[in-house]
Amino acid sequence: MIMFDRRLLKNFGWSLFLMTLVFSFISLLNLYSASYETGLVSFKRQFVWVGIGIVTLVSVSFLNYRFFKQYVPYIYGGAILLLLFVLFFGKEVAGSKSWIDVASLATIQPSELVKIAIILVLAKFYDDDYQVGPYGFLDLIKPIILIAIPLVLVMLQPDLGTALTIMLLSGSIVLFMGVKKWSVAFILIAIIGVSFYSWHYSLKPYQKDRISTFINPSSDPLNAGYNSIQSQIAVGSGGIIGKGLRSGSQTQLRFIPAQQTDFAFSVLAEEWGFLGSIFLLLLYFMIVLWMLDTSSRAKDKFSMLVSFGIAAMFFWHVVVNVGMVIGLLPVAGVPLLIFSYGGSSTLTAMIGIGIVLGIRMRKFSMSAEPIELR
Amino acid sequence: MQDFRNRLLIATMILGLAFLVLGSRLWYLQVLRGDEFAEFSLENHIRVERIPAPRGRILDRYGKELVVNRTSFDVYVIPKDVKDVAHISSFFSQILNLDKNHIDNNIRSALTKRSFKPVLVAKDINRDQLAYIEARRSSLPGVIIEIHNLRQYPHGSLGASFLGYIGKVSEAELKSNPKINNNDLVGKTGVEKGWESNLRGDDGYKQKVTDALGREVESTLFLEDLQNKKSMPGNDVLLTIDIELQKAAEEILGDQSGAIVAVNVNSGEILALASKPSFNPADFIKGIDSKTWSDLVNDKTSPLLNRATQGLYAPGSVFKMVPSTAALNEGFIDHEEYIHCPGYYKVGNSTFRCWKRGGHGWVNLRGAIVKSCDVYFYKIAERMGIDKLSKYIRAFGFGSVTGIGIEEKAGISPSREWKLRRFNKPWYKGETIVSAIGQGYVSVTPTQVAMMTSAVANGGTLLKPAIVKEIISYSGEKKFKHTPIVSGKIPIEIEMLELIKDALVGVVNDPGGTGRAARIKDMTVAGKTGTAQVVSLDLQSDQKKHRDHAWFTSYAPAEDPEIAVTVLIEHGGKGSSVAAPIARKILEVYKTLKEERGADDNV
Repeated sequence: MIMFDRRLLKNFGWSLFLMTLVFSFISLLNLYSASYETGLVSFKRQFVWVGIGIVTLVSVSFLNYRFFKQYVPYIYGGAILLLLFVLFFGKEVAGSKSWIDVASLATIQPSELVKIAIILVLAKFYDDDYQVGPYGFLDLIKPIILIAIPLVLVMLQPDLGTALTIMLLSGSIVLFMGVKKWSVAFILIAIIGVSFYSWHYSLKPYQKDRISTFINPSSDPLNAGYNSIQSQIAVGSGGIIGKGLRSGSQTQLRFIPAQQTDFAFSVLAEEWGFLGSIFLLLLYFMIVLWMLDTSSRAKDKFSMLVSFGIAAMFFWHVVVNVGMVIGLLPVAGVPLLIFSYGGSSTLTAMIGIGIVLGIRMRKFSMSAEPIELR
Repeated sequence: MQDFRNRLLIATMILGLAFLVLGSRLWYLQVLRGDEFAEFSLENHIRVERIPAPRGRILDRYGKELVVNRTSFDVYVIPKDVKDVAHISSFFSQILNLDKNHIDNNIRSALTKRSFKPVLVAKDINRDQLAYIEARRSSLPGVIIEIHNLRQYPHGSLGASFLGYIGKVSEAELKSNPKINNNDLVGKTGVEKGWESNLRGDDGYKQKVTDALGREVESTLFLEDLQNKKSMPGNDVLLTIDIELQKAAEEILGDQSGAIVAVNVNSGEILALASKPSFNPADFIKGIDSKTWSDLVNDKTSPLLNRATQGLYAPGSVFKMVPSTAALNEGFIDHEEYIHCPGYYKVGNSTFRCWKRGGHGWVNLRGAIVKSCDVYFYKIAERMGIDKLSKYIRAFGFGSVTGIGIEEKAGISPSREWKLRRFNKPWYKGETIVSAIGQGYVSVTPTQVAMMTSAVANGGTLLKPAIVKEIISYSGEKKFKHTPIVSGKIPIEIEMLELIKDALVGVVNDPGGTGRAARIKDMTVAGKTGTAQVVSLDLQSDQKKHRDHAWFTSYAPAEDPEIAVTVLIEHGGKGSSVAAPIARKILEVYKTLKEERGADDNV
């Protein structure tokens, strides 16, 4: 299974690993500040999660991706089962049934981990498929079903934020593989139709509020727009160099909502200013770039697509989360990977990085026969 | 593979573009608008708590306290800090004598809403209750005691009519003074209103750090952002009133409706200004409740009316100083000239009666004043005509406000123009006749009569009455000191005025004088009685509301006048028997006080 080779160590993606460590360090420092007033509970938990995450990362990187390639159907099936389990036996937090209690030690959120399963299953689908793109609508039925099953289950929880990132990252993969023009048009029409339907019949009032507030945040500064305004005040008041560790009034006096999770970036922006937030964004940029680079060097379609999918996952998390924090996008419950507090999202991010590292380590094809890329 | 590389290149470009957008937005928020947002964040977490400044005290001319402040202790609880709501409710219901369920409900309903905001349990608890609570503070988490300043009146309702009362600030008052806050108590009448700007202190403030829920943060976070300002108590207002004389005046009035004004004839300083019935200003200290208020407003005896400055009455014979002055100065009469009084006076078809049915016989000016002969004044009034007479009525300050600084009425100084304006009718001779004896349209306030008396006493100077002697800041600095202000000169030769003054001495001291009841030992009093008809003689009955108003106005000592005392008793009857003895008592108290205090006193 684990075919240990000295070349593996030699080709280990030290730069990505190092960036991940730096990132984890910054995230913990930030969380320390954000949770100081509430007794550092989440800081301590996240410390453990980061530890578990890094061990997982290293372990995953040493797994040969060819190994899980054949187990992808099982991983996918397991993920669906977890989602079904959470729907029936999950713990409800803030109106969403998204969590599973694990021996009352921790709660995990399967919908985060499901993202990896979706990336893997899509990569496997395209890897098995020898069709030369672009794909027509009929060709897309199978991948769309593969995406739709977990997507619908996530929406039933309901977890709008995760559903959104699932759509964005799987959409990126599908588009990347090529879609016929009229299919794109068809899908766009379908999305608009569904959105219209949702707005009128299925969105919950709070979700509608969030969207209408995004369009005009000051219309309702105390309720729906409050989060967005307070977050922008926090970011803006940070100025160029920031207010310093544990000195952000917006953070310390809890004006920033969900400051340890979805709005963790506001804390950083307030306390470390423009310099701090740009540094973090650049770090993200480098990580995603590194993943795309891995994708371009991949020797087979599966590993290329997996790297691309994970890069897309990181990318969309950053765009949606930071966009929300700085008032460019509506407030949606999307965490900033490896930065927000949360075991499941941290674990998901670490597994993702681990997979990409594993692919990178094996870019010098170790198998006897060269991989036929079409 | 090249195909995918191109797509990855596009993906990389999208990545770069997206990060460029995010970065620009950060630049915009943090660099371009950073200062603006920094302000917002300051506003967000700093709560300004006002420290109300105590109002200045109101003191009498010797510094004795008339209106002071006392601290009121108010009990609040912070619901979230209360461990056992049931326990704390029964505790308070026992010691504060309150309804247990009421407290319990208040705390519990606040717990679900704003659990960090203090809930009022009781205002203004007494010292024993305070001591009891303080002793158990450690076992009562969440209980806070707030301190406020309340007006206190050590002498009860003494002087209430001129001190005035305080009440919740009105919309208009809020607009006119930016320093006043919503729900503040401000002076509504009297000195409290007239000297509001002096009495009002300068509120301080204390800034506190609060979190997103509005809770005060105890930690030392963000202390450098905070600013504090101490409150500055208002200025003390030292009145011209002599508290002892005021007490005497109010005691003498007792249950009677009326007013007493005592004034220093040389400076215009009011020494006593009594009006009865009055009210209790303590009812207003926390903002008056609507029941008490409507009772006061609907009270037929008008307790809120300051009869000394706002009460309008016909002056009756006390007014005779005015036609005397006019006729002498304008040469319509010689003081030696005798006029016959048969008890009535005919002008055309009308007959005007003298108060003495049988008449006074032959009287000159002195005799007419001493015996208060009406016919004499009918005659000289007819000679003068209204135009000359009204000139002198105005010269004595009637028909216009005195400028005392508290609520007052101008009254009526009748004249041809006034009647034309008011009733659009010409002036009749008969109206001139009755004006000369202070009846008809003439209407005056007791304070105006006192100032007229002072002007006669001091040799012809009409002074502006003053009620405030000094204003002293909290730090002891004198902000204001009263100096006499002349409102006008009475146009009369000093020798002629001496004739009138001599007659006024006769009123009190001559055997047939109407004011003999005002005589006192060792001090010569000069004065004039007045009995103002409320209805015509034909309609008079024994009903109280038909009874005459009794007047007496006086000054003393006659040789070197110091004080003027004017007394008005509503429906009291005759000035000679009702008002004059009251003036005597006031003058006696004045004399005794002066002797006790020694000659060097500055009265």
